[in-house]
Amino acid sequence: MKRVLLSVTGTVLGVVALLSFKSHGQAVIGGALPSATLPAAAGGATSSGASQSTSAPPTPGAGTRATSTAASATKTYLGTAVQTQYGVVQVKVTVAGTKITNVAFAQLTAFDGRSQEINSQAAPILLQETLSAQSAQIDTVSGASYTTDGYVQSLQSALDQAGIQ
Amino acid sequence: MTATMHVRAQPGMSPAGGASLSVRPGAALAAIGVGALAVVALWWQDTFVLHGLADWLTNAGRITGLLAGYAVVVLLALMSRAPVLERGVGTDRLARWHAMGGRYTVSLAVAHTLLIIWGYAVSAHTNVVHQTATLVLSYPDVLMATVSVLMLVGIGAASARAARRRLRYETWHFIHLYTYLAIALAFSHQFSTGADFRNNAQARWLWSALYVFVAVVLLWYRFLTPVRAAVRHRMRVVEVRPESRDTVSVYVTGRHLDALRAEAGQFFRWRFLTHSLWWAANPYSLSAAPRPGLLRITVKIIGGHSAALRALTPGTRVLAEGPYGSFTAGRRRGPKVLLLAGGVGITPLRALFETLPATPGDLTLVYRANTPSDLVLRDELDGIASERGARVHYLIGPPGHGRNDHLSATRLKRLIPDLVGHEVYLCGPEGMMAAAQAGLREAGVPRRHIHQESFTF
Repeated sequence: MKRVLLSVTGTVLGVVALLSFKSHGQAVIGGALPSATLPAAAGGATSSGASQSTSAPPTPGAGTRATSTAASATKTYLGTAVQTQYGVVQVKVTVAGTKITNVAFAQLTAFDGRSQEINSQAAPILLQETLSAQSAQIDTVSGASYTTDGYVQSLQSALDQAGIQ
Repeated sequence: MTATMHVRAQPGMSPAGGASLSVRPGAALAAIGVGALAVVALWWQDTFVLHGLADWLTNAGRITGLLAGYAVVVLLALMSRAPVLERGVGTDRLARWHAMGGRYTVSLAVAHTLLIIWGYAVSAHTNVVHQTATLVLSYPDVLMATVSVLMLVGIGAASARAARRRLRYETWHFIHLYTYLAIALAFSHQFSTGADFRNNAQARWLWSALYVFVAVVLLWYRFLTPVRAAVRHRMRVVEVRPESRDTVSVYVTGRHLDALRAEAGQFFRWRFLTHSLWWAANPYSLSAAPRPGLLRITVKIIGGHSAALRALTPGTRVLAEGPYGSFTAGRRRGPKVLLLAGGVGITPLRALFETLPATPGDLTLVYRANTPSDLVLRDELDGIASERGARVHYLIGPPGHGRNDHLSATRLKRLIPDLVGHEVYLCGPEGMMAAAQAGLREAGVPRRHIHQESFTF
């Protein structure tokens, strides 16, 4: 009985200690957040440093908000922040008329290094796929299904606001 | 059923005679611990920062899951009959570790299941029931893993002490075989959904290698080795002789038995190929020194298995795994030896009494039993004693309290005045062993001079 108690408390304390060690510090954000622009609108796909720091991921469904930019027919829509198993994905699209001219990540966080690596590989592919598909109907990036799902969900919510099918 | 098992770990002599590889219990535990640390390190290196309740729950689930996946192979390895472990750690201690570790592993698996469900439910903002359905139905291989954890709980329940008493050994044994299926069912979800493996090929390789290695060891020592021995030795029962109302001796013959190099004090796992006995391999000590072409065991009839031994007919084929155990002459360090037996624990000591090299007067056998009818092989013991100039004392009667117990320090010293100078070989039921240990220690016999072997039911 004593041994049982000892092993149970030992395990619980050990796990709690491990978890609390891992609870200090910031969520990993992929430095400069990637974005992609249609070649016609600007000079090729570029990366812009729209670094956004969030210490805690916002809850899904919280950030639905459209912002207009100064450009006349060009509007920017912010998609929902979607929390996946491995992090948070939030997409920002710039639309000229019914054309997606720019798509960028407003948030792309990963809770661990592995997921961050996956995100950094998947992100440019997702952005390019969006520009060529001009919709949220894009292929899943293999090995990054969670990120893809989150991305598509956030993108769709932004496109819904823009009225693009 | 009576099983004679070993407690003390000593590198000792191998059955083959030479020094052989074995691992001390402390070293074995350390190795298991290092493995567990490596498993936790795997989680540590690919986890960054945890946020909130969901992460805490999910990651606690990941840690417990990884540890359960590791513990389950450790449990199999403990039961692999690998000579390194059998000889070094001892069969008895391995069985106790396995039983304790089994309960712990089932708890880990259950904790893993509940924590993952809860953690995912919190992060997905759904309730636990809905999340369970999602996990089982849409996550790859999780359905199989769910079946597996339910099986493990069932097997654990069947093995719990209370249930074990009510279940027939046969039933328990067959239920226990389902652990192999449970482990197989749980394997694939570790790679297809486990965050630590999905994107880490190296971890997948190492993890698979661990499982394959243990599987090979199991197959080798629990299957191929006995089959090879069966083909080589072709053992058969030659005679079954009742020794008392409830004990029976079984004589077994075979080819090349000397090649086994069995020693007095060792045991084999015996599998008698009859309709009712073939499925179980039970450990029984040799109750006499091996003679050319002849081995003997003496068994107390307690359960269904040992009762069936009485009905064995000459000619019955026998598979014997072994010899196991280091409760042999190799343990001994001094000239004077006390053999201290309780009940049917006499069997290995009877063999040692016959063979331990000793000059007349150096060898003493003390045989403890609650009633005269519990004494077995008494004529043989008396014969050996007079032939070798050794002493035999029979201590008969129910256990007493404190100083009045037969095995108290005072009584033992009265029996053997120079007790402290003796090497002690101790074998008997649990209560008797505890009493003897206490008495011997109190009398001043150093722990390293007490070599013991317990038998359990």
